[in-house]
Amino acid sequence: MAYPATSTARRWSLFWLLVAITLVVNLPIILMVMNSFQTTEQLVSRTSILPHDLTLANYRYLNDRTSFWQFLWNSFTVSGVSTVTSAAIAALAGYALSRFRGRLVTGYSRALFVVQMFPIILALIPLFILFRTLGLINSPLSVIILYTVVHLPFATWMARAFFDTIPRELEDAALVDGCSRFGAFVRIVLPLSGPGLAAIGIFSFLFSYNEFFVANVFLKDQSTMTLPVGITMFMQQYSTDWGSLMAAATLTVVPTFILFLGIQKWITYGAVSGGVKG
Amino acid sequence: MTTKARAHLRKAGMLASIAAAALIGLAPMAASSADAVKLNFWDMIWGPPEYIDAAKELVGEFNKQHPEIQVEYRSVPWNNWYQTFVTAISSGTAPDISTGAGYQAVQLYDQGAIRPIDDVIAELKADGELDDFLPNTVDTLRYDDHYVALPWGIDIRVWFYRKDLLEQAGVKVPTTWEELRAAAKATTKDGKYGIVASGDTGGSHFLYNAILNNGGGLFTADRKLDLKNDRNMEAFEALAAMVADGSVSPASTGYNSDDRRAAFNRGQAAFTLDGPGLIAQAGAEAKNIGVLPPLAGPHGDKATIFWVNNIMVYEQTKHPDEVKTFLKWWSKNQLPLWTKGNTGQLPTRKSIAADKAIKDDVARAYVLDNYVPIGKTTATNASGIFPALNDVEGEGAMQSFAQELWQGKPVGPIVDTAETRLKSILKE
Amino acid sequence: MTVQPRLAGETGSWRASARSWYASGDALPFLLLAPSIVLMLAVIAYPMLTGFMYGFSTGTLLKPGKFVGLDNYLRLLQSPDFLHALWFSLLFAIFNVIGCYVLGLALALLMNQDVPFRGFFRVALLLPWIVPSIVSIVSWRWMMADQHALFNQIIGAFGGSPIYFLSDQNWAIAAVIVIKIWRSFPFMMLSLLAALQGIDRSLYEAAALDGASRWNQLRYVTMPQLRNISIVLCLLMTIWTVNDFDTPWLLTQGGPANATENLVLLAYRYTFGRNDVGLGSAVSFITLIILMALVVVMLRRQRER
Repeated sequence: MAYPATSTARRWSLFWLLVAITLVVNLPIILMVMNSFQTTEQLVSRTSILPHDLTLANYRYLNDRTSFWQFLWNSFTVSGVSTVTSAAIAALAGYALSRFRGRLVTGYSRALFVVQMFPIILALIPLFILFRTLGLINSPLSVIILYTVVHLPFATWMARAFFDTIPRELEDAALVDGCSRFGAFVRIVLPLSGPGLAAIGIFSFLFSYNEFFVANVFLKDQSTMTLPVGITMFMQQYSTDWGSLMAAATLTVVPTFILFLGIQKWITYGAVSGGVKG
Repeated sequence: MTTKARAHLRKAGMLASIAAAALIGLAPMAASSADAVKLNFWDMIWGPPEYIDAAKELVGEFNKQHPEIQVEYRSVPWNNWYQTFVTAISSGTAPDISTGAGYQAVQLYDQGAIRPIDDVIAELKADGELDDFLPNTVDTLRYDDHYVALPWGIDIRVWFYRKDLLEQAGVKVPTTWEELRAAAKATTKDGKYGIVASGDTGGSHFLYNAILNNGGGLFTADRKLDLKNDRNMEAFEALAAMVADGSVSPASTGYNSDDRRAAFNRGQAAFTLDGPGLIAQAGAEAKNIGVLPPLAGPHGDKATIFWVNNIMVYEQTKHPDEVKTFLKWWSKNQLPLWTKGNTGQLPTRKSIAADKAIKDDVARAYVLDNYVPIGKTTATNASGIFPALNDVEGEGAMQSFAQELWQGKPVGPIVDTAETRLKSILKE
Repeated sequence: MTVQPRLAGETGSWRASARSWYASGDALPFLLLAPSIVLMLAVIAYPMLTGFMYGFSTGTLLKPGKFVGLDNYLRLLQSPDFLHALWFSLLFAIFNVIGCYVLGLALALLMNQDVPFRGFFRVALLLPWIVPSIVSIVSWRWMMADQHALFNQIIGAFGGSPIYFLSDQNWAIAAVIVIKIWRSFPFMMLSLLAALQGIDRSLYEAAALDGASRWNQLRYVTMPQLRNISIVLCLLMTIWTVNDFDTPWLLTQGGPANATENLVLLAYRYTFGRNDVGLGSAVSFITLIILMALVVVMLRRQRER
C-alpha cells in the first residue's frame, strides 16, 4: 500500500516530476513516432530536430504495398499461442515445484536455471536440422515451440512463487472431502490464479512479440515472418528506408502499449512480487 | 423412402455431381500444375522497395511464358544473409537458385553447396550470347576450373563530390590523389568536412579502393596474405594523411553507410566513396552531386574495387534443367529491374547497358564507360577469386581497420593488428 | 505407500503397478513436470550436446571438421579478442545491473506514492522495455550519430564541442551501457513496485512510532524486505545481460574496433563471420559455465540468510 495521507500539493508535485521523467525517458520513442510522419527523403535531408511537413505517406505505403498486416497477424498468432502453451505448462510445473519435494523436483529446478542461461546461438544449427526432419521449417510452429521452451523457466518460477502464496489449507480441505490431488489443483487453486496467470501471460507475450533473433533464423518466408523480422525488410544492402521503418516501428508498439494499459491493474502484488520471490 | 430422405438423397446427388464436374473441370489444370516444376528463387534486396515489386512482376512474366516451370520468388534481407543461406543449406532447404554478393558462390561452392554452371556457359557460347556479357565479368566467377556463378550485376565504388561545396570553396574537380587531398582540405570549414566515411563494410571499401587504385593488392599470386607491401602501405598512409589534415569527419568511425550517405546528401561533406546508385537515390539533391573521374594514384595507376554479383544454382536442386532455363531467361530479360526496380547495380550485359534508360542516367553511363573497365576484385594479384574472400570482407577485420584509421590512429599498429587477424581468418 | 490390491479381471501386472504408482502420489509431480521435461530435452538438451561436440572440432557449418580436442579452448584463453569480450561482458553486466536496479528502485519508490494517474505512468514508464530493440536502438543511434545529432545539439547549446559517441571506444561502451540500463529498468521497476506494495504496512507504522525518519524507514524496513527479491532480480538481469545480443549488435555491431564486443557477439562472429563453428561453440560454452558459476554463488548467498 502507498504511504498514507499525502497532501494535495505533494501529490501534484510528484505528478509533474513523473511527467518530466516520463518524457525524458521516452524521448527516443517520441522521436521515433514523430519521425514516422516524414518520408525517407525528408528524414535523410533534414537538419532540424523537430520534423515539419508531416505526412501520412509512410503509413499509407505500409498499408498498400507491404505485408505489414500479415506480419502483425503472424506476430500475434505466434506470441499468443506460445504464451498460452507456456502458461499452461508453467502452471503445471510451477504447481509441482510448489507443492512437492524430492529429487525429481530439485533436479528439475536446477535444470530450469541451465535452460534460462543457455545462449540460444549455440542451438541454432542443431535445432534447424531437428526442425527440418520434423518438416517444421518456415512453419510458425517451430518458433512457437522455441518461445514456449525459452520462456518456460521464468514462467515456471513466477507460477511456483505465486502458488506458494496460496495457502495449502485450501487444498488439504478439499482432499479431506475426497478430492484427488489433481482435482484439488484444478478446482481450488486454478480459479484463484487469475492475476498470477495473467502476469505470466503478459510477460511471455511481450518476450515473444519482441523477439528478433530466433524468428529471424526460422521464419524466412514473407507469409510467416513476424514483425521484428519484417521490419528488417526495409534495410537494403547499404541503405535503409527510414520512413517506413519508423512507421512500422510505431505501429508495432501500439498493440502492446494498449494491452498493457488495459491490464496494468492486474499486475499487482500477488502476480509479480510473488513471481520473483524465487 | 420418406420424402425427407429422398430430398436428402437428391441434395447429396446434386452435390456429388457438382463435385464430379468440378473435379473434371479442374482436372486439366490439376494435371498441368501437377506436371509443372516448382522452383524456389531467392533474390537479395538489390534496390529500394520497388525493386521487390519489379522482380516479382518479372518472375510472373516468366511463369506466364513457361507454364511448365513455376518459379516462386522470395526476397532475402541483407541482415544476417550468410546465416540465412548456411542454415538453409545445412538443413536441406536450400533454394534452387539465388542471387548473392560477389563471393557468395565461390564460398558456398567450396563447401559443396553450389552446382557449377559450366554447361550453361557452354550453351551461351554456342548460342553466341556469351559475347553479350561485359569483358572480364564471366571469367571473374571462375574457381577451381569451374564457373561457379553467372554474373548478374556489377557493384563498384567511385568517388562522388558535391558540386555546390566545391564551387563555394573555389576548388576544381580533382583528378589525382594529391588534388583530392588538397580539395578535401580546402572544403573542410564551417562545420563541414572534406570527406565523410563510415565504419561499416562500406567504410572498409575505402581501403580496397585505395589499395587497388595504387596498383596494390591484398594477396600474392598463390593466395597468401600480402597486406604490408609498398603500394598498400602507401595507400594507407595517403588515407591517414587526409585524416591527419582534419579533412575526414570524426563521426565516420561510428557511422554506417546510411549515416554517411545522409550526411553527404545533406551537404555536410564534399567527397565520399559509394556505389553507382547514390545519385539516383539522393532525391532532390541529385543535381548537386557529380562523379569524379578515375583518380590517378602517386604512380599514375587508375583502378577501383568492384564485385561481380552472382546468380548461382544450388547443388540441392532437383530440377537442374528447368533451373538452367530460368537462369538464362532471367539473365537475358532483366531490364525491368533497372527501369522499374531502380536497382543500384550496373548491368553486366551489353544489351541491357545499351538500353536508353541506362544510357539516360548520365552518372551511371559514365561509371559504366570509365570505371568498370578498371575495376578489380578483392582477390587482386591472386589467381582468381577464392572462398576465403567472403570471410576476409565480412568478418570485421577490415571494418575495424577502417574504424581505427578514421579515429586517427597511426597506420603501423593498425596494419599489424589487421594482419594478425586476417592471417587467423585465412588460417595461415 | 500402500499398494493397491489387484482387481479381479485385470490382465498384466504393469497396469496394476502403474495404477498403484499413480494412487501413491509419487506419479503426480512427474506427470505435472512431464510436458516441460519433454520439451526441454528436445529443444535444449539435444542442441546443447551437439553444440558441446562442435566445441571440440574445427570446421564450418556445412563441412564438418576434424577432432581437435581442447585446442579451441586453449586458443581462446590466449586470444586477446576473447579476453576483451570476457572483460566487456562482465563490465556490461555489472554496470547494467547496478544501474537499472538503482533506477528501478528509485522509480518504484516514487510510484509507490499516492500520485494521480499512477496507472498510466506505470505503463508509460514501461515503454523502453516494451518497444522492440531493433526499433528503440535505431532511435538512439539517431540521437547520437554525429555532430548534428540531438545530443550534440544539446551539448552545443551549453557551449561544448561535439562528442562522437559511436566513434570513440570509451564513449561507445558508455553508450551501450546506458542504453541497456534504459531498456532494463522498467522490468526492475515493475517487479520492485509490486514487491513494495506487498510490504506489510504495520511495519512502517511501528517504525514511525519509534521515531524513525523516512530515510531510516527505507533502510531498515523496506530494504530488508526486498532483499530476497532483489537478489533473484539481479541474478536474472545478469543472465539476460551477459546473453544480450541485440543491444551491442544493433548499436555498434561490436565496434568501434571491437570495443563493444561481448561474448555472444564474439561467438556470432566466429561462427558466421569466420566460419569457425568450433571456436564459436567453445565461446558459448565458456559463457554458460561462467553464468552457472555466478548463479551457484549467488544462490548460496541467498540461502545463507
